[in-house]
Amino acid sequence: MATVNGYQGNTPVAAPAGTAASRQPVNAPKIVDSQSVLKRLQSELMALMMSGDCGISAFPEEDNIFFWKGTIQGIKDTVFEGTEYKLSLSFPNDYPFNPPTVKFETGCFHPNVDVCGNLCLDILKENWSSAYDVRTILLSIQSVLGEPNISSPLNSQAAQLWSNQEEYRKVVLKLYKPPSA
Amino acid sequence: MVSDSITNAPIPSAPNSKDFSKKKRANRSAKLKQCKLDARREQWLSQVAVKSKGCKEEGNCAKKERDRSLENPRRRDEDNNDDGSIHHESDSESPSNSPTNSLLGGGGGSGGSDSGTNFIGSSSSGSSISGSSSGGCCSGSITEEEEEDDDWEAVADALAADDDNNKPEPEPENSYSQSPSESQLSMQSDSTPELTNGLGLDSANSMTETESARMVPRISGNNTQAWRPDDAYRPQSLPNLAKQRSFPATNRHFGHGGVPWSRNSVLGAPSSCPICYEDLDLTDSSFLPCSCGFHLCLFCHKRILEEDGRCPGCRKPYEHDQVESEASVQGGSLTFRLARSCSMIARS
Repeated sequence: MATVNGYQGNTPVAAPAGTAASRQPVNAPKIVDSQSVLKRLQSELMALMMSGDCGISAFPEEDNIFFWKGTIQGIKDTVFEGTEYKLSLSFPNDYPFNPPTVKFETGCFHPNVDVCGNLCLDILKENWSSAYDVRTILLSIQSVLGEPNISSPLNSQAAQLWSNQEEYRKVVLKLYKPPSA
Repeated sequence: MVSDSITNAPIPSAPNSKDFSKKKRANRSAKLKQCKLDARREQWLSQVAVKSKGCKEEGNCAKKERDRSLENPRRRDEDNNDDGSIHHESDSESPSNSPTNSLLGGGGGSGGSDSGTNFIGSSSSGSSISGSSSGGCCSGSITEEEEEDDDWEAVADALAADDDNNKPEPEPENSYSQSPSESQLSMQSDSTPELTNGLGLDSANSMTETESARMVPRISGNNTQAWRPDDAYRPQSLPNLAKQRSFPATNRHFGHGGVPWSRNSVLGAPSSCPICYEDLDLTDSSFLPCSCGFHLCLFCHKRILEEDGRCPGCRKPYEHDQVESEASVQGGSLTFRLARSCSMIARS
């Protein structure tokens, strides 16, 4: 959020709309901007479907291409093997210049995911680059599942348990509720 | 050594080697004689114009002589250049001038070099070292051409007068001009670029000579430019200097761009902006704002400058790399200023 405020200082004209939009994408989209964002998101959807990456998928909501639902499968040979997590991706109107907001819809016992499903990932915050896209975001989240950042946890209990992989696996499976529909 | 040859070679070659050719080539007519022949030719032309068949035999004689005179100035010019260049390029081997001249008469074999070779050779090597040296090379050859102009005009008049005599001439020209390259080959350790350039230029000159004698200014242009990229006679082996010079950014792009951003190849990024997915035009694709080689269109770059200010490829601030890109990539600096001015307009 601090960086977003920084943008506002640089561009007094464009930034307020963008700042608001980064949190609430439906809010007052600029016509010109949304055209280019539409093109970008449509291209990303096409690329994602053509890429055929295993373990990740995403698709826009019915009538809103700014809001996507994605799924991530736990990587094999990690404690998350065999699990699948639903995510929501909400794109700002100034995407890809600002990152989408990504949340876990399925509960995930992970050091970097809080109980509400909020995700702490640097590339979705200060290290965001407009060169990232949905595919790389999902792949990054997928790899973060197996390699959490223990130093700044959102879920301290999970962070503490991480060292004991066997116990962690048990907790994951115990708390895991397969996404319904 | 290379830069020396660029600046110096053409200039001293003309006066020095005129003496040289006079000494060495007693069998060839000197300038004085050539002037006489020119005078006779004009006389003959006027005779032909005024009189009719009665003078025909005499005219034919004069014609043959004139043909010889046609060859002479040209050969003499090339002798000058060859002498000058070889003399210069191999300073320590100044006696090599005499073997060169003795070789000049010989023929056979393929390839060769003539008046333009030094300039092209030096320009190619010069440009690889620094861009400014090519300018010096050009000016050198231009002054050279100006010295030649008188002779060339004489040749041009004569050639225009009778086109039939044009065709056979390049033949001796070629066989004659091969020998300098051979001598260069034997004398120079780094003769390979010279030789390839000479190869091309030889046919270029013979072509321009056969084409039209009215093209004297164009010949000088060809000497400085060596080869147009679309030239049909351009040898394949010749390195494409024009491309390297005019599209430095593009080369950089293909060299650096693919490595850190392998994803680009997946998305076909060289043809479209990885940020907005719009097609990159020529300006965009030659626009390289960051040293990491990440490509994006001018609009997205402007947008990023307004907000984040960091390169999407490496996350380094653009401001930091701005100086470097301006220094190294000419096209990039130009477009970058454009982007800056755009952003200023947008803000005001």
